[in-house]
This record gives sequence, structure tokens and C-alpha cells, in this order.
Amino acid sequence: MSEQDQGQNQAQGQGQNQQQGYYNYYNQQAGQQGNFQQQTGNYQQYYQNYNSQGGYQQYDQTAQGGQGYQNYNTQGYQAYPSYQGYQGYGQTGRGGYSNTRGGFKNSNQGYQGYQTYNQQPAYQAYDQQQFAQPQQTRGMTLDDFQKQKVGSTASTAPKPKKTLKLASSSGIKLVGAKKKPDEIEKKEETQKVAPKKEEASIDINESEHDSTKAPSENASNDLPDVAELKISEDKTAKTENQAAQSTPSANVSSADALIKEQEDEVDEEVVNDMFGGKDHLSIIFMGHVDAGKSTMGGNLLYLTGSVDKRTVEKYEREAKDAGRQGWYLSWVMDTNKEERNDGKTIEVGRAYFETEKRRYTILDAPGHKMYVSEMIGGASQADVGILVISARKGEYETGFEKGGQTREHALLAKTQGVNKMIVVINKMDDPTVNWDKERYDTCVQNLSNFLKAVGYNVKQDVIFMPVSGYSGAGLKDRVNEKDCPWYKGPSLLEYLDNMSHVDRHVNAPFMLPIASKMKDLGTIVEGKIESGHIRKGGSTLLMPNKTPVEILSIYNETESEVDMAVCGEQVRLKIKGVEEEDIAPGFVLTSPKNPVKNVTRFVAQIAIVELKSIISAGFSCVMHIHTAIEEVTITRLLHKLERGTNRKSKKPPAFAKKGMKIIALLETEEPVCVETYEDYPQLGRFTLRDQGTTIAIGKIVKILD
Amino acid sequence: METDAEKNIQIWKVKKLIKSLEKARGNGTSMISLVIPPKGQISLIQKMLTDEYGTASNIKSRVNRLSVLGAITSTQQKLKLYTKVPPNGLVLYCGDIITEDGKEKKVTIDIEPYKPINTSLYLCDNKFHTEVLSELLEADDKFGFIVMDGQGTLFGLLSGNTRTVLHKFTVDLPKKHGRGGQSAVRFARLREEKRHNYVRKVAEVAVQNFITNDKVNVKGLILAGSADFKSDLAKSELFDPRLAAKIVKIVDISYGGENGFNQAIELSAETLANVKFIQEKKLITDYFDEISQDTGKFCYGIDDTLKALDLGAVETLIVFENLEIVRYVYKDSEEKEVVKFSTPGNEDTTIALDKETGQEMDLVEEQLLIEWLAENYKNYGANLEFVTDKSSEGAQFVTGFGGIGAMLRYKVNFEQLADDSEDEYYDDDEGSDYDFI
Repeated sequence: MSEQDQGQNQAQGQGQNQQQGYYNYYNQQAGQQGNFQQQTGNYQQYYQNYNSQGGYQQYDQTAQGGQGYQNYNTQGYQAYPSYQGYQGYGQTGRGGYSNTRGGFKNSNQGYQGYQTYNQQPAYQAYDQQQFAQPQQTRGMTLDDFQKQKVGSTASTAPKPKKTLKLASSSGIKLVGAKKKPDEIEKKEETQKVAPKKEEASIDINESEHDSTKAPSENASNDLPDVAELKISEDKTAKTENQAAQSTPSANVSSADALIKEQEDEVDEEVVNDMFGGKDHLSIIFMGHVDAGKSTMGGNLLYLTGSVDKRTVEKYEREAKDAGRQGWYLSWVMDTNKEERNDGKTIEVGRAYFETEKRRYTILDAPGHKMYVSEMIGGASQADVGILVISARKGEYETGFEKGGQTREHALLAKTQGVNKMIVVINKMDDPTVNWDKERYDTCVQNLSNFLKAVGYNVKQDVIFMPVSGYSGAGLKDRVNEKDCPWYKGPSLLEYLDNMSHVDRHVNAPFMLPIASKMKDLGTIVEGKIESGHIRKGGSTLLMPNKTPVEILSIYNETESEVDMAVCGEQVRLKIKGVEEEDIAPGFVLTSPKNPVKNVTRFVAQIAIVELKSIISAGFSCVMHIHTAIEEVTITRLLHKLERGTNRKSKKPPAFAKKGMKIIALLETEEPVCVETYEDYPQLGRFTLRDQGTTIAIGKIVKILD
Repeated sequence: METDAEKNIQIWKVKKLIKSLEKARGNGTSMISLVIPPKGQISLIQKMLTDEYGTASNIKSRVNRLSVLGAITSTQQKLKLYTKVPPNGLVLYCGDIITEDGKEKKVTIDIEPYKPINTSLYLCDNKFHTEVLSELLEADDKFGFIVMDGQGTLFGLLSGNTRTVLHKFTVDLPKKHGRGGQSAVRFARLREEKRHNYVRKVAEVAVQNFITNDKVNVKGLILAGSADFKSDLAKSELFDPRLAAKIVKIVDISYGGENGFNQAIELSAETLANVKFIQEKKLITDYFDEISQDTGKFCYGIDDTLKALDLGAVETLIVFENLEIVRYVYKDSEEKEVVKFSTPGNEDTTIALDKETGQEMDLVEEQLLIEWLAENYKNYGANLEFVTDKSSEGAQFVTGFGGIGAMLRYKVNFEQLADDSEDEYYDDDEGSDYDFI
């Protein structure tokens, strides 16, 4: 897999210039002709040709970029000699093929492209266009020197001659191509490949039988490759010429949606296979101070064997010495001296464990009021929230009072995109509770009402269960019948294991908001992949500074190095191209093709949940968005929303009060990486906090430059 | 005895004056700034001026000589109006300033400061020296703030109604990480070291900011922070003992930076009750409370506020001290006075047109609204308070409410507020007026 990838990358890298030149070329044409689809198809073929070349280059280590370029040109327009050389290669060097399947396959596609070439009348048009084109490119003289070269070579070639040559050359290619597919087929079937590519090869088979059918088939298959091209194109743009980036993206905008879908596709099955069929889930423990979050996290680790018995015993001893008997389980999560001394979590703790069915990352949020901002950062990385409620008399009540963190955490989790909530009623073994059903029921009743108010669908997204974090009852195994005859539901882990799969956007553009960073023989960043996937060696863009970075290696939760990571996973990435000092939490690693928006002004819809007085223009507070924390000022109120119908008011309100929903213009001091809620919910929703309380939640409606 | 409010108006007037004096420029060195401390003697000053007059007669340049001599004469004449130095001292400015259209204008300004002024000054320059007066305004107690959290530290100063950030820096402290392994101990040690260095750095920068000439330059110091850093700092040996002695309060805040600074001010409001900034904050908060509780005993915007003033309903009038609105008085065709308001630079000339005839009206008077209010507020039985936009509440008041508003004695129903609620909202499919943004 990786080999193949690298092969592709190399090849692409070598020929980037050509591609870019070509691409610009293409753009102009698209602009001129206006017949976009057709162009795409044709262009596609060119690209494939190019790709085939890429594969070829890879074989032949001596074939350098310049040479490749020449080959390319000749292949594209005059083709013969180099092509034949290639063909010869294919026949003689077949043994080598198996190693570098990627290149080989691409070349196949290339052949196919040629086929289409012949048969599609559109090519003619394209060809002519091309001839019209070069003169213009020369006139422009703006872009790459490369491009002009392409243009000039193209223009020098007499038109009718060229068509002829092309036709014949592709005919030869077809012969060559037809020989190969059988072999590839076998290989492909034995090894996992992206489905699109399989299809492509199948098409080749079909085309053998029915050559007339091929063009239409090809047309559909071409599309993913447009996407691929776009990626590499942008990579070039990024490293070489930032400005060039804007041109292509503008031109392809109509096809953008399509392309977006198909950027370097990865099959779900591949992903599943990678980890022995176990998918990953991030869970966050939240709740009021001393509800038992850390203890429960520690106990889960202990019960699943992620922390060995010896360590726990060591903690138990140490805790006893420190006069904190009974806190040893929380010491698993709370590793800092301060945290252990005070018995309160300060920073979000992370840990990892695995069951037979799933892999989990535990995020242990601090419950203390002062550290809510920490908790928000943690919640932004979680899939499932576990709201820990202490059933102990007095504790339960304080957690719910005004200013209690139960309310705030539940709300914050919801706004950070934690849609599934498991409410565990903890400390059921406490003498004041003693597995009392009545107590449990009142807790459940109150909480359901409350969670409903926050916006959870209590029936679907929330489940309640009685547990004891300290004794471990109800965590891994079900609660003992003797203690609790009235609860028949699953235990916490049981439930988590069987929870329905969380929707992942594996093939969406890559985005990873950086949660933390460190230095360890290089720059390392940590975070949850919010969308897309990333491969080792891939290049990405670090926003907001638009720094191109390369992924040197990927570590998953278990510290082991992997080749690929997908959406939803917590990963650590070793990156090249940026110093650790130049990164801050809240930066976003994105795919260069679809970089995250980077702005200081945006329009947002805001719901005010808790406010002492009023908000008016000029109000400033702190905004939490994904992992970023930024000071923000409301510079203008635009509308208020009618309760119930959400209709916008015609007049801007002079001020906003608690309970109101408004649309307002927000400005930040520093640029932040955001997206609209519609496009990327995770990067488009935020929380506003001031004076240690959460005052409002909101989503971004519109991004302004 | 003057009330606080009157004093505030005094202060505001001095502020305005300083601004205009600072801008003034004259020919040569003909601008005289003279400051006499309390208990100074007029006759001595007169003698000195006479001597100066003698010296100035030797100035070679005729133009310069004449203007200097003229200025000295005017100063002497002005001084003659005083038999003795007022209790708080006396400040005199005298000279020919060049106006915007290039003409010379003679100004003589005498000010009796509202606070004792302890400097003696005589200077001839091409500008007026207003530092003395500015110092007077800033002479309020100063409080230092150290806002320290895991991301960085902010050093701030609160004095009078100004809030300044002296210094700000950020740090990168290693976060806790649950990975463990052999290097766990090493990481913990590195972490400790970094944290220690951070505390040291803060302590050092604190000395730079709050100690000048080996003396603490603030009356009190407030430490704020989200985690334990602030108490670490307070306890640390690295922290200068002179500063440690000045710590008046340690507060818990949830964020660092500007927001933390604001919150720290808020939380230490009790300790700082006498600081103008806090008073101003409280005033606006009270005003906002009226609004949020929907008592109806509030108004904002120039029209409503003036209406309320006319009704005599205004209890406290709150005005932004740099409000730019100008009050114009016109005379229409029937010789009636018409009052209009506009901001300078407003190109809209329709306000000067007579509603009846469409003719341009005669401008009778032009004055800053705020000046007019300062002169006339007593006639309406109101209290006048000036606010700045330095506090977060102040900023809201200025941008959100136009910088003018009032708390009322009783509920007043303004016509504007009784809007037709029927059409208040857009239909679902209708676009917004702000789609262009």
C-alpha cells in the first residue's frame, strides 16, 4: 500500500511542473470554450497519460523529471519513440511490475485513456483548442516557464499530422494494454485496492470485449482521477506558487463538489482491516467536581488491563502514604503532582484502552469551575460523552445548582458536537444511596428533563445506568444482582462496545485541529482527525499560517506507528516543515486542496444561555471553537430571531438578553481557522464564555474575508 | 463642597482643554506656560515676568520679539486679576496660536486646578506645556495586575478610569500527557523545570514593570490566574519582596490575557472600590441591569434621551466622554429656533433645511452636545456622568447604545419603542438586509 503510494507521490513530484503547466493550460481552455465537461474528459486522458508516464519513471530510475517531461510531450503529441520504448519496457520488465503496482496500474489507465482518445470525437475539438491555445499562453507569459514550453512544443507540431500520430500510437497502446490486464487482475484481487481502481481495470476487460462500450465507461471512471490530479496540482501550487492555487480552484468550482468527494479515495474496508476490524471511539468523562470522573477512568483502565496490577498497587501504596487513601484509581488519570496533591484534575487527561470490539481513547475532563476551558478542549475531541453524576446525598444536588458543572458540561458537550451521552449515576454503593432505586429514579428523571432542555434527544441519544466507579460495579461487568435487582441493562463497556457506528467522513478533505504539541526529536502535534484521512508522507497545510508541512510519521493511541489514520482517530503526527514554537493549539492541519478558512470576521447565529446583564455591540468575551480559544468582540448585532419560528427581525436589536437568539457579526483579534457550520459542523460551532461562565453557544453562518 | 459628579465634570473639562492646548502651535517661542504652586506669591512671579520682559527685549528677530513681549504682557495683565494664588495653585497659558486657516489668534487661559498642583514652571516655547495638567488627571491611585496562566502572562495597570496593558508574553508549557512509559519521569522533570523557569521569568518582568527607581510604582498589586501559578508566584522566593508586600488580592480567573485582566478587575472590585474605573463599570452595569430587567426606566440614543430630559424623567445621564455629536441651533423662516444634531463630517445637509419652506436655515449656534449637556444638565434636574470606552461595559455602551443614555426616575413610553410588532420579522424565505456582509 505504502509503497504504491510513495511511488505515486514520487512520480507526481517529478512531473509536477508539467502538470501545473498543463493544468493552467487547461484552465484557459475551459474558460475559452466553456464546454467544461468535455474538457474535463479530455484533460483527464492527458492526465492519465501523464500518470502512466509517472509509473514508468518510477521503474526506470534514470528517467529524470526533464526526461519525463520530454517523454510526456512527445507522448502526448508525437508520442512514438518514447512510447514504444515504454511498451518495450512493459514487456521485458514485467517481473518488476509486481513491486510497483501503483505505477503499473496507472499506466493501464493511461492506455485506456488513449482508447478513449481515439473514439471520442471530443478529442478533436480538444486538439484544435490546444492549437489555438498556445499562442495565447505565450501572450500571457505569466505562469510557469514549463507551461510555455508545453505550449510552444504543441504549437510547433503541425496539427493534422499530430492527430494521425496520436491515433496510431494509441492503437499500439491498446495492443499493449490488452496484454496486461489479465495479470493485473489477479494481483489486484488478492490485494486490497481502492474500488475505483478496480473498476478501472475491469473496464479494460470489458473494453476488450466491446470496445465501443469503453468510452462511456471510461468517462465515469475518469472522474476520480480528476480529483487525484487536483490534489497533486495543489501540492505543486502550494510549494511553488501560492498564487497559482487560486486560479485552478476558481475554475473547477463547478466540479468541486464532485471532486471533494473523491479525493484520494480510501475504502471503508481497508480502514477496518487496518485495525483488525476494531474501530475507534473517543469518550469524555465529565460532570461536577468530585463526581468520580478520574476514578472511573482509572478503574476502566484497570479493569480492561491497560494499566497493570503492579502499577495500581504502587499507586495505592503511594496514595496511602500521601494521606489520600481511596484516591489511587484517579491517580491513574491524574499524573501531575499538583493534581494528585489536591485531588482534582486540572488538565484533560488522556488514556487508551481496548476491548474485544473497539479501541477507546479516554479523555478525563476536569470538573472544577476554573478549568472549564480545558474541558471544552477535551470535549471537542470526543465522540461520546459520559456524564458522571454523583448519587451521594448533597453531591448530586450541588452539581445541579446554578453554577454547578453538571449543567454547564452537558451543554458544552452538546455544543462541541458530542451527540451521544451516557449518563452514569455514580457512587451507587455509597452508604447514603446503597443502590436505592428511588434515588436513581429521581436522578434519572431530573436529568432527562434537563438534557432535553439542553437539546439532547433523550430517547435516542441518552442512556442512564447506575454504576460505582470505585468498586467497578457496572463498568465492565454488570451490576451484581444482589446489590441491585432492579437494573437489568448493560454495563458501561458492554453498552459502549455495542453502540452503533459513529458516522465517519473518511473521504472528506483532511482536517485536524491541533489540540497540543510537543517536541520529541522533531515537532509533534496531537489531535483528533475531524474529517478525511492522512497517510504517512502526505503533505498538508498548517493553517492559519499556510505553512506546508509533511507528515513524517503517524502514531496512534497505542504509540505504535501506522501508515494511515482516518477520521475520528486521536493521532500524534510527527511533522516536518514547521518549528514547534510556531504552532499553537487551535491551528488546523488541512489538505492543501481544501484549506480551512482563515478569518477574523464572521457572521454567526448565537443563542444566549446565561447572562448577567445584556449583550450589545462592543461586547467582548472568549470564544472556544474546536481546540482554539480566542478573544472575540461582537461588533454588530444584525438580527434577533423570533422564538419558535426563528424568523429574522428586520431591525437589528439594540441589545440581546438571556434566552434570546441573535445573528451577529463577530470579530477576533487574531485570525482563526473556522468553517461554516453547514460545511463542517465541528469547525463551525463555538461557545462564548465570559467571567468563567458559559454565556452563549453559536454556529457560524457566514465567513467574511 | 463639590459633589463627585461635579468634580467629574471638572475633570472632563480639563481633559478637553488639555486636548485643545496640546494641538495649539505658535510662532517662535512665544507660547508661555506658567504654573504657580499653592502658596506661591504673585508678586514674585510678577517680578520674574518683568525680568523676562527685559531679557526678551533683546531678541533680535522683530516678529518673535514682539510676540514674546506681547505674550508676557498679557500674562502679567492676567495675573493682576488675582490678588493671591488660589488654594490649589494656578496654571496660566498665554500666546499667539495659529489657527487652522493660518491666522494668528491670541489666547490667554487661566485654570484653577481641582487638585493641589505641586510644580513650579515657567516656559516659553512654540507650544503649551500641558504635562502638569495631564499628571494631575493621572494622579489617581495606580494598581498593578499580574494575570498569569498556563499560556502566558499579562502585566496591567489600572489607574483612574484607564486600564493599560504594560506587557504581555506567552509561554509554552508542556501539557500533561497520559502516555507514560520510561520517559514519564523525565517528562515530569522537564515539566517542573519549565514551570519553574516561567515563574522566574514572570517575577523578573514584574520587577521591570512595577518597580521604577527602586520604588514600587503602584499602590497595590493584584495577582490573578487560573491554576496555581499565581500562588506559586506569591510564595516564590524569586518574587521581589517589595512587590510581594504590595499584594492586595489574589483572584481566580478562568482565562488569561485581556479577558482575564477584565475578570480580575471585576473580581477585585471591592478592593478597588475607590478607583474611577470600577465606579464607571458599576454605573454602566446598573444601567444594563435596568435594560435586562426590562423595567422601562432607561433610554438610549440621542432622541429618546433628550425627550426624557425634557420630561424631567432623567435621574442619571450617562454620556461617553468623547461623544462627537454636535448640537446645532437654527432659526427657521418664522424666527423659531430649531435644534438639530449631527456628527461632524456628516455630509447630509438636509438637517439645515427648513421643513416648511425647504430653504436653508440660519445657523445660530454650534456646540458639542456634550458641552451643552455639561452646561445645562442641572436645569433638567439630572446627574451627569461621563464614561470612557476603556472598560468592556463602556465599550458596549459606546458601540451598542451610541454613547448616550439615561437611567430614568419613572417609566417613559417612547413612541419608537412601541413598534409595530406585526412586521417585525422577515418571512422565512426573505433575505436579510445584511446579506452584503
